[in-house]
Amino acid sequence: MIRLSRLQVRIIERTAATIPLALAVAVAAFVLMRAIPGDPVDIMMGEGASSSGEEVVALRTQLGLDEPIHRQLSSYLKALFRGDLGYSIIRSRPVAEMIREAAPATIELAVYAMLFALALGIPVGVAAALKHNTVFDRVSMAMSFIGVSLPAFWLGIVAILVFAMTLGWAPTSGRIPYGLEPRHITGLLTLDALLTGNMPALGSALRHLCLPAITLGLGVAAVVARVTRSSMLDVLGSDYVLFARAKGVPESAVTIRHALRNAMIPTVTLVGLQFGSLLGGNMIVETVFGWPGLGRVVVDAVFARDYPVVQASVMVYALTFVLINLVTDVIYTALDPKMALQ
Amino acid sequence: MKHRWVTAISIIFLSVCTATSVTFTADGSRKSLSVIVDTTADRSDEAQAVAEYLRAVGVSAEVRVWEWSALKERILAGGRQMYLTDWGSAYFDPFDLAVPKLRTGDRGNYSFYSNPRFDAALDAALGSNDSEVRRRAYFEAQEILRKDAPWVFGYSLLETEAARADVLDWQPSMDSRMNLHDVGLKRGDTIVVGMQADRILTLDPATYRDRWTETVIRNMFDGLVTRTVDGRVVPEIAEDWKAISDTEYIFKIRAGIEFHNGDTLTADDVVFSFDRVIRDGAIGGRTSPRKGLLGPLTSVEKVDDHTVRLKLASPFPVLLQALVHVQVVPRNYLMRVGDDEFARRPVGCGPFKFVEGRLDDKVVMDRFDGYYGGSPDLPPVGPARVKRVIFRMMPDPTVRVAALKTGEVHIIQSVPAHLAASLGRDRNLQVKTAEGTRVYCIEMNCARPPFDDVRVRMAMNHAIDWDTILKTIHVGGAARLSTAFLPSGFGYNTELAPYSYDPGKARSLLAEAGYSGR
Repeated sequence: MIRLSRLQVRIIERTAATIPLALAVAVAAFVLMRAIPGDPVDIMMGEGASSSGEEVVALRTQLGLDEPIHRQLSSYLKALFRGDLGYSIIRSRPVAEMIREAAPATIELAVYAMLFALALGIPVGVAAALKHNTVFDRVSMAMSFIGVSLPAFWLGIVAILVFAMTLGWAPTSGRIPYGLEPRHITGLLTLDALLTGNMPALGSALRHLCLPAITLGLGVAAVVARVTRSSMLDVLGSDYVLFARAKGVPESAVTIRHALRNAMIPTVTLVGLQFGSLLGGNMIVETVFGWPGLGRVVVDAVFARDYPVVQASVMVYALTFVLINLVTDVIYTALDPKMALQ
Repeated sequence: MKHRWVTAISIIFLSVCTATSVTFTADGSRKSLSVIVDTTADRSDEAQAVAEYLRAVGVSAEVRVWEWSALKERILAGGRQMYLTDWGSAYFDPFDLAVPKLRTGDRGNYSFYSNPRFDAALDAALGSNDSEVRRRAYFEAQEILRKDAPWVFGYSLLETEAARADVLDWQPSMDSRMNLHDVGLKRGDTIVVGMQADRILTLDPATYRDRWTETVIRNMFDGLVTRTVDGRVVPEIAEDWKAISDTEYIFKIRAGIEFHNGDTLTADDVVFSFDRVIRDGAIGGRTSPRKGLLGPLTSVEKVDDHTVRLKLASPFPVLLQALVHVQVVPRNYLMRVGDDEFARRPVGCGPFKFVEGRLDDKVVMDRFDGYYGGSPDLPPVGPARVKRVIFRMMPDPTVRVAALKTGEVHIIQSVPAHLAASLGRDRNLQVKTAEGTRVYCIEMNCARPPFDDVRVRMAMNHAIDWDTILKTIHVGGAARLSTAFLPSGFGYNTELAPYSYDPGKARSLLAEAGYSGR
C-alpha cells in the first residue's frame, strides 16, 4: 500500500472538496442571476423588439429561457457534467472559448501586479521594521495607508495622463500592438515572447504591462508592506532572535535567515488571498486600460444578463480561489516545517 | 413566468409609494405634490438639476439612480412616476422614434401615452408612400404631442468625434457607419480607430442589434444601398431600383462585384442574405435579431442573376432607409463553413477584408484590392486609400483622448463635451460633429396620478430650465427639441417652439390642477 505524506493527503482532500463546492457555486450563480430583474433577450434587442414583443418571445423560446427554472437548471447541470459550459446568449459563441481567450490576459496582469507588490512591499515592510519608530517607518506607513485608499479608476487615469500622455513613457492602453504578438503558446504574452526568443514582443508587452500592473498592484503593495512590518516586528522581538544575536550571528543573517523566513508566513497567506482578489478585482483596471481580460467579459455579461457567461466565469473564479488556497497551504508547509507535523 | 414573484412584490411596493406621493395638507383642499425622478447613473447630474428646478416651483422632488434593466422592468410594470430615458432612431424617420415611443401600446411607450388622434396621424404617415401626405400627418402628430406633453421634452446630443490632423477627408456621419473607404492619411498607411464600445458583439451582419458592431461590420460588408453623411440613401451594390407597386420593388444588382474570397456576387447571395434575416430560425435555429428592422418585408426573390424582387405585406415608406442596414454575405462560403465559423472568419464584399480580431480588444482589416469601388454617389470610387484599418475597443473616454493625443490612434468616437473645446484648440487634432439621432427626455407615467393630468405635465415642461442644464452639463453640445421628433428625421416641424422656461406658469398650472406649493 502506498503511504502518503500528510501534505499529499491534504492536497487530495482539498481537491476532492472542490467538486461539491463547484456544484454549489454553479447553482448559486444560476439562481441569483435569474433573480435579478432584466432579461437577456430584451437587452439584446434593445430598442428593437417588435411592437407585440413577438420577436422577444420567439428568441426566448429558441434559447430555452421560457422553460421552468428547475428544468433550465437541470439541463444546465447535465451539460456541465459533460464539460459543456454553454453558449453565450449575447455573443452567440461558446463560453469556454471566450474564457480561454480572455483568461491569459487577466492572469498575466495579476501575476505582474503581484510581482510589483512584493518587490515594493516586502523591502519597505522589512526596512520599516528594522528602523522602527524612525521617520522612515512613519513616512512609509503613511504612504502605504494612502496606497490602500486610492481608488484604482482614479489612479489608472492619472497614471495614463501623466506617464503615457505627458511623459510618453508607456502606451496608454492595450496589451500589444497588432503585428508584434509572439506566436501563441500559453497566451501569456511575456512568457510566449521569452519561449520564442521574440525580444521586441517582450519589450512591448512589458511596456504595456507597466501602468496597469502598477495601478493594480499598488494597493496590494501597501497591504504587504504593513503586514510584513508588523510580523517582522513580532519576530525581531522574539527569544530566538535575541539568542541568535547573543550567539554572535551577524545582523544581516539574523534578519534574513532567522527573522524574515518566519515573518513571511503571514505575508504568504496574505499573498494567496490578495492574488485571488487581483484576479477578481481587476474589472476596473481592465476597463480603464482597455485590457482584454476576463474581468471585462464578466462585467459585460452581468449587465447584459448573459447567464451562461456569468455562471461559467463565477465558477472559474471560485475554482481559482480554491486552487490558490491550496498552493498557499503547500508553500506554508515548505516555509514552516512545523505545519506539516500538525 | 420566472419573474412573477419579483414583479408582484415590486408592484405592491411601488403602488404604495405612488399612492402616498400625493399627500393632503391640513386644510384638506390643496394637495402638495411629491415625485421621484428615476435615472440611470450616467444622467444623475442632470436628474439632480431637474429635481432642483421642480423644488423651485413647490414640488418635492427626489432623485433615484438605477441600473437600466432593473428600472425598465419597474417602469413597464407601471410603478414609476417620471424617468430620464433616451431612444435612438436609425431610419431618419419617426418610424423608429415617435411611433414606437408614443403610439398606444407600442413597444417603447413607457409613458403609457394614448391619444387616438395622434395614433391616427401616425398611421396615416406610415400607410402612405406619398411624402406630402406623410409630412402633413407628421406635422399634425407634432401639434397634438406638444399640447398633450406626455414627456418633459428634452434634447438631442451632437455626436462629437476627433481625429489627428493628418487624417484626410474624414467626416463623422449621423448613422452608425464610419466610412473609412474614403479616408486617407498624410503619413503611413494604417488607420487606428478608438471605439467607444467595450466590445462589439459579432462580425456576422445578421446576429447583432447595436450600433458599434455595425460601425465595424460595414467596413467589411456592403448592402444594396447606403447613406451619405447627411442621410440621403444612394445605391451601393444595387445599380438602381424601381417600385412596381406600393408593395413590390425591383432591384438591379451591379455586375462584376467580388467577395473577399474571390466568389462573384449574384442575386443568389442577395436572396440568401435577406432570407437569413427575415426567415424564422434561419441562423442555426435562431431568428436574426434584425428581423424587426425590415418591417413588412415578406420575401426577396431572384428574377435573374442580377435582379431581385422585394415583396412587402403592406406599404413601407422607409424601405430604402431600412435596406441600408442589411449587408450582403456570400452564400456558398457561408453554407460551406456554417454560421459559427463565418462569424470567426467573415467574408464580405466591402472595401476592407478581415485579417484577425478579438471582439473586446481589436479588429484588424486590410484593404481589399478587388473592391468594386463602392457607391458612385460617394466618391472616390475604387479601392480604399489606406492599406490597413484597426478598430480598438477603448471604453474609457479619457483614455481615448489620451491615446489620440499621443498618436496611438487616429480617430476616436464620442469625445466628452467638456474636452471637445480644448481638443479643438490643439493644432495636431481636428474635432467634428454630426447631428444627433437620439432623443433624451423625461417620460412621465400618463396613466396614473399625478401625471394623468395634462396641466401637471405641462407644468413640468415649463418648470425646467433646459438651456441652463444643457449649457452646464453638455457645454452647448446639445439641441433642445420641441417634441419627440428630431430635426434630422423626416417630417420635422421647424415652426414648433420648445416649451419656454416659465416657473410662474408652472406654479399656476399646478395650482389649477389642485396642488399647492410648499
